[in-house]
Amino acid sequence: MGAALLGGLVLAGIAGMTVISVIGRALAGYGLGPVRGDFELVQIGCAIAVFSFLPWCQIRRGHVTVDLLVERFSPRVQAALRLLGDIALGAVAVLMARQLWAGMIDKFCADPSDPLFGWLWNMTGIAQPYCWVEATYELNLPAWWGYAAGTLGAGLFAVVTLHSVWQSLNEVLR
Amino acid sequence: MSGVELAILGFVAMLGMIAIRIPIAAAMAITGFVGVWILRGSPDPMMNLLKSVTWDVFASYSLSIVPLFLLMGQFASKSGMSERLFRATADWLGHRPGGIAIAAVGACAGFGAVSGSSLATASTMGQVALPEMKRYGYSDPLATGVLAAGGTLGILIPPSIILVIYAILTEQNIEKMFAAAILPGLLAVAGYILVVMIYVALRPDAAQRMPRQPWAVRRSSLVRVWPVVAVFVLVIGGIAADWNWLKPGRQALFTPIEGAAVGAVLTGLYGLLTGGLDRRSFTTSILEAAQATGMIYLILFGAQVFNTFLAFTRTPQTLADWVVTAGFSPMVVLLLMLATYLIFGCVMDSLSMILLTIPIFFPIVQSLEFGLTPDETAIWFGILVLIVVEVGLITPPVGMNLFIINALAREVPIRRTYAGVMPFVVSDLIRVAVLIASPWLSLVLVRAM
Repeated sequence: MGAALLGGLVLAGIAGMTVISVIGRALAGYGLGPVRGDFELVQIGCAIAVFSFLPWCQIRRGHVTVDLLVERFSPRVQAALRLLGDIALGAVAVLMARQLWAGMIDKFCADPSDPLFGWLWNMTGIAQPYCWVEATYELNLPAWWGYAAGTLGAGLFAVVTLHSVWQSLNEVLR
Repeated sequence: MSGVELAILGFVAMLGMIAIRIPIAAAMAITGFVGVWILRGSPDPMMNLLKSVTWDVFASYSLSIVPLFLLMGQFASKSGMSERLFRATADWLGHRPGGIAIAAVGACAGFGAVSGSSLATASTMGQVALPEMKRYGYSDPLATGVLAAGGTLGILIPPSIILVIYAILTEQNIEKMFAAAILPGLLAVAGYILVVMIYVALRPDAAQRMPRQPWAVRRSSLVRVWPVVAVFVLVIGGIAADWNWLKPGRQALFTPIEGAAVGAVLTGLYGLLTGGLDRRSFTTSILEAAQATGMIYLILFGAQVFNTFLAFTRTPQTLADWVVTAGFSPMVVLLLMLATYLIFGCVMDSLSMILLTIPIFFPIVQSLEFGLTPDETAIWFGILVLIVVEVGLITPPVGMNLFIINALAREVPIRRTYAGVMPFVVSDLIRVAVLIASPWLSLVLVRAM
């Protein structure tokens, strides 16, 4: 819930930023102007917000399912199918988080000869010499920042779905 | 196995998974993942794609309009705009036969103008209008049916989440889609009001009349809806209208995404300043918008994976080519497609249906000849799809709006709600027929832009 609230505030923040940008653009003749990089801030802010919403949605069991057929089965079968559904969602969540992490590593650019962190990059094996930092167009924000925040949210989502699997498993075994 | 055969197999597998209550998003993602694996003989292409696809979907600039509109709708509902709307329409119309039900339709339409979601409209107006209809002895089928149907005005009247998604999928202008939806939306309001009037004319005992309100009360309750009007005019007007006649071309105040942000900030500020939103309801607004956003984006992610698989199989092009060479009549093809939505709408949710079918149907529609320009065909088809998909929200047995209203009116058996909504479904179908026969109803405002 905390993560979702934080994400919600990020969303409200980009809404406010956009309004300021619109007003600034409208008053461009009076020495004001749109917020620099508003476009990319909306993109990054929105993505971070959405990632933080995924675990909350799962806690509320808000991801859409079709219950029509299943409601006619016995409670035991229903519990088993619920477990199956949770496993499927868990698998997707884990895959999403893992590949997002891999994507972040791809975008991450570490210098193995860095005097401060070089040893860390060498140890973890994520250092890629001669790499190029992909960054946003206007504000020059490194792309991996967004990926890192997203991985955090997706990781939390994976943890929550695995917890759901555990709950449903208990339900089946009871 | 050919690509098309594999795609059909994929569809069957996915629907099978959905039927045993696997979350729709997961069913789409898994089918897409396994499908590409089979097609390419290795999981690597999909694994590579997954490194970036999640971020690309979630950080899409055009999609950011979805959480912003959801937030705006939540703020509008929690800050008391829905009560004010219903109060005003009920004060003006409540003393007529079936007046409170007509007032509910009007209030739903008003709320639909600041909310892009049917479910939010149905639930917020249900909370406001159900107790009032119960107080004046409205029959259960009429009360629940009119609210379930009225809720669909949330997506029929712009802003509309479904229209936004359609516009993004088919690379159409969101502004033009919104403009196109206005007349059909008003037609829907008229149709629903007519249904209520016929209903109470046939069964006068289904509803009592409210006492007639004095003019002073009516005036003051009408004045109190100004925030709703202001937000709608500024947001939808700011997106779609021409604000500077001196310059050539249409000069909008802002882009649709900026408009959504303006709407969210305005409704939020309005609620905070008038005290309609306290800290607790502000938090619930954010959390409810968060839940709906999370649900929608996970489906968007699953659909992206599934549609990647579909594109790998080249099914959309193959199918479009086949339809053209087979020489079917365009109208028959169109009717078949709309019928598909009606059938699947009985069990599937509207967003998933749009995401799964548009990549296949849209190339076919574009290759058919309806006597319109390609863009006009796209807009017209979008409006028709919007309506048939929205009918899916109120067709038994699975209609989200029916469930929402039924959850609010716990003592009403769901069968009674099913019965009550059927006349409204009929009016929807008549409206679809009218819009098919006269595309200009959807296009006249777009052509004026």
